[in-house]
Amino acid sequence: MTRQKYFFCYAMIAPALILTAVLGIYPMLNSLWMSFVEFDLLRVASFGTPFVGLDNYVAVFSDPRFVQTLLNTILFTVLAVTATLVFGLLLSQILNGTYPGRTALRMLVCVPWFVPPAVASAIWMWLLNTDRSPINFLLHDLGLITSDIRFLTDSATWGPFSIPMMSITAVRVWNGLPFAVIFLLAALQSIPRSLYEAAEVDGASLWQKFWYVTLPSLRPVLAILLTLLVIGGLGSFEINYIMTGGGPQNLTNIMAVYSYQQAFSFYRFDLASAASGIIFIMTGFISVFYLRSQLKKVA
Amino acid sequence: MTLAIPTPAARPGFLQRLGAMSKADLATRILVVAVTVALLFYILLPVYWMLKSSFQPNTEIRVLPPVWFPQEWTLQPYVNANRLIPMWRYVANSLFVSVTAAGIATIIACSAAYVLARFRFPGATFILGLILLTNLIPAITRVFPIYFFIQNMGLLNSYVGLIFAYVGFSLPFAVLMLRGYFETAAPPELEEAALIDGCGYFEAFWRVILPVCLPGIAAVAIFTFLNAWNDFLWASLLLNQGEMKTIQVGIGDFAQEGGGVQYVNAFMAACVVATIPALVVFVFVQRWLVGGLTAGSVKT
Repeated sequence: MTRQKYFFCYAMIAPALILTAVLGIYPMLNSLWMSFVEFDLLRVASFGTPFVGLDNYVAVFSDPRFVQTLLNTILFTVLAVTATLVFGLLLSQILNGTYPGRTALRMLVCVPWFVPPAVASAIWMWLLNTDRSPINFLLHDLGLITSDIRFLTDSATWGPFSIPMMSITAVRVWNGLPFAVIFLLAALQSIPRSLYEAAEVDGASLWQKFWYVTLPSLRPVLAILLTLLVIGGLGSFEINYIMTGGGPQNLTNIMAVYSYQQAFSFYRFDLASAASGIIFIMTGFISVFYLRSQLKKVA
Repeated sequence: MTLAIPTPAARPGFLQRLGAMSKADLATRILVVAVTVALLFYILLPVYWMLKSSFQPNTEIRVLPPVWFPQEWTLQPYVNANRLIPMWRYVANSLFVSVTAAGIATIIACSAAYVLARFRFPGATFILGLILLTNLIPAITRVFPIYFFIQNMGLLNSYVGLIFAYVGFSLPFAVLMLRGYFETAAPPELEEAALIDGCGYFEAFWRVILPVCLPGIAAVAIFTFLNAWNDFLWASLLLNQGEMKTIQVGIGDFAQEGGGVQYVNAFMAACVVATIPALVVFVFVQRWLVGGLTAGSVKT
């Protein structure tokens, strides 16, 4: 009986396991391997792919553009994740209330979720077009600015911050916010009402209820959300690639875009793999920690 | 996740509640409402701007300052979009690739998710860990080997190659989501009864579990479809030539080739078309959203 059961289990899981291995695990490891060999597509025919150890990593880290890109990625992730969490907490609270029109409001908040990243980039490129942006005209009318904001092309910087970086982050947050809101809303609905009632008896203010009841109850869910958002941010690609291609002056370049361009514009698959290898190490590290805590619950 | 909605009669009137509120709470509430209104503007403006621009005639789209509420609505941009790029062909390509990939991935995911949800066997946790890891780590860390792999099989710029890649990349997500669904939606007594009646394991799965779980399976298929439909990265690498492109790649290229101001209404029309399928299926999967979200975690 058990043998029959095991046979059934392995037969059922085999197709998924093979595909995950062939199209998931193996390419990841192979990509990591590519970062330790020379792999210049223009030289590969005559020189092959000799092992070069850490040379590719040394090469990318001595490229100031790459170092800037790495810092951009971290800044981009921190900004986007923070904004998504803060706005997400606020909106999920609002949607958790009871008032007429709540369902409609929930639908409206969800809309950006269903806009594909390529389309989101396209819409925002039009919306942020320096000469024709309604936002610029609105700010002019309100008397807040005197010259147009060049959302995607201004190359002035304040430390690591620049207007294009902020604009790109805003697009990313826009696209990813509904996910966070609905995720948190589901968690809010599972907080027992009695906790709030007890707090009310003690005369807690709105803010105190949020701080002492809501936030602690959300902690496990926030940890999951934070992990997913950070991993997503570090591997983010489409919006930066389509909207600015990393420009102006590398200000909005992030690791995935750098990697993609090294590979398909310069045919340096070794440097590209070193860049994506760094994403792999960072996200893999976070994932393993996350999985350990998650799998413990199952076992 | 049902919502407990208190009966309106049991609640004091709005003004009474405002009066009973402390000054600090009132300030908090006003601040929260103000920020929410600002956020709604941020969320909805781009969507409105896309829709509005896609119905504006060529002359009006160029007017400065920009027109917020068009006087005249026209379908001309939708016709023009199809002249600039083979838009409907791209949509058909996207539909074909995404539907096929979603179908295959869902079938494979179903069987794997079922045994992962129901049985304990050596290696189960390890396999689950591998699938979770694949689901979490960003796609950019595996595109190059897959690109060469598809190229070596002679499948670059073919539908088969892209479908193959999509099945691989949607599979972990589908397995995780379905596993959660099988655990909650189908009581184990169901197939226990079937097994006692003399069904084999596969028969019990096929005849008893699958029919019961069909709605959840359909939802997973739709999510898998959406993942493929929304994808830009894989499609831009594996299928980027001529009329075979997917609509997302078509839009990405259109954007990078300028999509200049003179064509922007047509460009926005293409964007609306590329968003509609997602919005349509959204109506069907709404109630499954939360399950879909938590698929990234093992359990919540």
